[in-house]
Amino acid sequence: MTLTTRTGTGRLTRLGLRRDRFRLLIWVLVLAGLMAAVAVKFVDIYGTKAEIAGIVATLKSPAIVAMFGPFQLGKNATTAQIFANEMLLFMALIQVVMNLGLAVHATRYEEDQGLTELLRAHAIGPQTPLLAAASELTLVNLGIGVLYALGLNFATMPGATTQGNWVIGLGLATIGWLFGMLTLLLAQLADHAASATGMAYTLFGLSYLARMITDVQQPRLTWWSPLGWVEKLAPYHQPNWTPVLLSGLTGLICITLALWVAQHRDLGSGAIATRPGRRTASTWLRGPLSLLWRRQHNVFLGWFLGVVVLGAAYGTVFNTIGDILKTNPTMQQVFGKAVVHSANHSLLVNFSALLAIILAAVAVIPGLQLIFKLYGDETHGWLEALYARPLSRTRLFLSYVGPASLLSTLIFLGGWGGMVLTGNASLTHASDGITAFEFWQGFWGQLPVIGLFLALGILLVGVWPQGRTLAWLYLAYGFVSQYLGNLLQLPKWAKRLSPFGWAPSVPVHHVAWATFGWELGLAVLLGLIGWWGYTHRDLQQH
Amino acid sequence: MTQPILEINHLQKRFGKFTALKDITFSVNAGEVFGFIGPNGAGKSTTIRTLLGLIRASGGSATIFGHDVWHDSVAIHQRLAYVPGDVYLWPNLTGGEIIDLLLKLNGNAHTARTDELIHRFGLDPTKKARTYSKGNRQKVALIAAFSQDADFYIFDEPTSGLDPLNEKIFQEAVLDLKHRGKAVLLSSHILSEVERMCDRIAIIREGTIIETGSLAEMRHLTRTVITVTTKTPLDPAALPGVHAVQTGQQPNSWQFSVEAEQLPAVMTALTAHQVVALQSTPPTLEDLFMHYYGKA
Repeated sequence: MTLTTRTGTGRLTRLGLRRDRFRLLIWVLVLAGLMAAVAVKFVDIYGTKAEIAGIVATLKSPAIVAMFGPFQLGKNATTAQIFANEMLLFMALIQVVMNLGLAVHATRYEEDQGLTELLRAHAIGPQTPLLAAASELTLVNLGIGVLYALGLNFATMPGATTQGNWVIGLGLATIGWLFGMLTLLLAQLADHAASATGMAYTLFGLSYLARMITDVQQPRLTWWSPLGWVEKLAPYHQPNWTPVLLSGLTGLICITLALWVAQHRDLGSGAIATRPGRRTASTWLRGPLSLLWRRQHNVFLGWFLGVVVLGAAYGTVFNTIGDILKTNPTMQQVFGKAVVHSANHSLLVNFSALLAIILAAVAVIPGLQLIFKLYGDETHGWLEALYARPLSRTRLFLSYVGPASLLSTLIFLGGWGGMVLTGNASLTHASDGITAFEFWQGFWGQLPVIGLFLALGILLVGVWPQGRTLAWLYLAYGFVSQYLGNLLQLPKWAKRLSPFGWAPSVPVHHVAWATFGWELGLAVLLGLIGWWGYTHRDLQQH
Repeated sequence: MTQPILEINHLQKRFGKFTALKDITFSVNAGEVFGFIGPNGAGKSTTIRTLLGLIRASGGSATIFGHDVWHDSVAIHQRLAYVPGDVYLWPNLTGGEIIDLLLKLNGNAHTARTDELIHRFGLDPTKKARTYSKGNRQKVALIAAFSQDADFYIFDEPTSGLDPLNEKIFQEAVLDLKHRGKAVLLSSHILSEVERMCDRIAIIREGTIIETGSLAEMRHLTRTVITVTTKTPLDPAALPGVHAVQTGQQPNSWQFSVEAEQLPAVMTALTAHQVVALQSTPPTLEDLFMHYYGKA
């Protein structure tokens, strides 16, 4: 056997598939299942001409365009066309998130853990771990793509074609794959997993924003965002293989660059190196709170700025959304100016109500991560040094839970404020916009919901840390049931399974203070149980 | 005698059905270095984690400075220093920052002594913790512990990543603590280190303390190796309490081991054969350890 820089790729790929078998299985099942299930559901709810005609106006509204992509089909659109138009971007988003996680986990994370070093001491080439990760991602994306196509064939939506089904399958597969390869490249440049993940999500967020703004303003320019390529597939309309080719080529460039970097760098280092730092601690670094800030402030600031930018980007489409004359040009002649302004205002309020939910769901993520970090740091052994100091468990608990709650609240306020401010500024008639009263209604309305999700996290960390995934699944369900709920015509009870559906949506309605009260009470109760559990249980050995 | 710093009485710990600690009893006094030895998985780290209040005992009691280790952990930790076996440091902080932070958490400050320790251990405090080797991570924890002004020090296999020079610095620092009247609990696999430094030793096996005492006391429990040359022929195998007899290089030269309680009788018998050369080697801690562990 001759030894090359790639010796052992096959064996390592099998090892990777084995290592990730559960997470791969869950991703594949969830993604392929969701796609097929939604397709079947669409046959049910948008199967007839009348049903389609009823939804077309809604889909053309800029608010929906901002969320799902532009709609350039007429009233004669088929079920399959509507499906492709509304679902592809959403599915692509989930698939990109999967690829980002898997790519970092299979390369930089393993290297941080010292596992790559262990492997490289055997007959394993310098490029092998990277190539094995790339093979794993290729297989997974391809597998999901094939299952998509088969599932769509099985759903037999009116207007679906076999070619279209495969354009969707392979289109999503290559776009997911492209982001996987891009992350592999970033993982070679960064010198630890957290930094690679941060860079990958930044690029992902930028391409989402670019897609959204161009979709609403200038759909032609959407070609400049890789996520926009999803919309250009037009599978049941005029199937276009160009995005598949583009993603494939870009992905190949990324992986080639990544392999080159892998061949030329030292194990354990990255192109962007860690620099030496302070010889002594600054005076304010003196307790668990300042330690957390010292370790995580980049993450906090990144999230805050990211969500403010996201909110502001949503705000930039206010002037298009809040202009009813775009979809109903005769309204002013018929009803007069006052009615038009009030209609515009009501459009904006409805749009912001949905965005309040999205922003709240996004704002929960960093808070929940921080609460779970209390457990993550425990299992990493990082807390051991603190536990051996005169610090009570309650103080440690509070120094994670407190900042987590504050972080989620501030991030929500930032995103929500960013949206309303840029949105109102973009309007020709400022009076159409969201009022200060409505702004605070939106804030107070979502606050207990954020609190409830964080409290669930606290409860799990204190009582059953192995079940942390539950909180993520619940949050994901709450988000999806609201984001897609109306489009899928989900029954009311399905939307009420998560706290997002417990109170009437704000700022369309006023805050239901009674609900607000008991939701907050429930959150506090869950938090107290979590605190009790945390101060009474054994701490884990790393 | 004053009250012991650490007092453990019939401590037990169960994890579900598995009993990690069955019966742990020992105490550590001020001005004493106490060795805690035993094979992997015997329960050393579980004992220490219980002492730190990280896990809760299922039975028995443990007190430090007279306080319960679970309920009063914060008060105890005010005067306690601990170095874990596997040191995990926050990856994006420098070693210097971590040392200072750990000191501040105990109300201590970075002093000239800290600088001296950094210098003696040869640590570069400006490097980020993620770039440190195992030995360097251990140095960070050791420097923080030694420059802390505590009354009780717990070291859990502290030198496993250190080179011999740094190991020596560690031993000097521990002896210095002892001279200053501090209590030290040292869990270690390096038996020569324990033998050199510890006043008393406890041996743990499968969650039970099987022997406690000074090395001298323990030596009584095992065999001394004797190498002897006599003038007149000798049959050592016939003597009481003699084992592992080997012939030496010269005629009438033997090597064998003797049970401690038969040593006087054997010596008398040897003298009767006119001893030309005699060498007696007391059992090392390693022999003791093998002796106990081999019994399993």
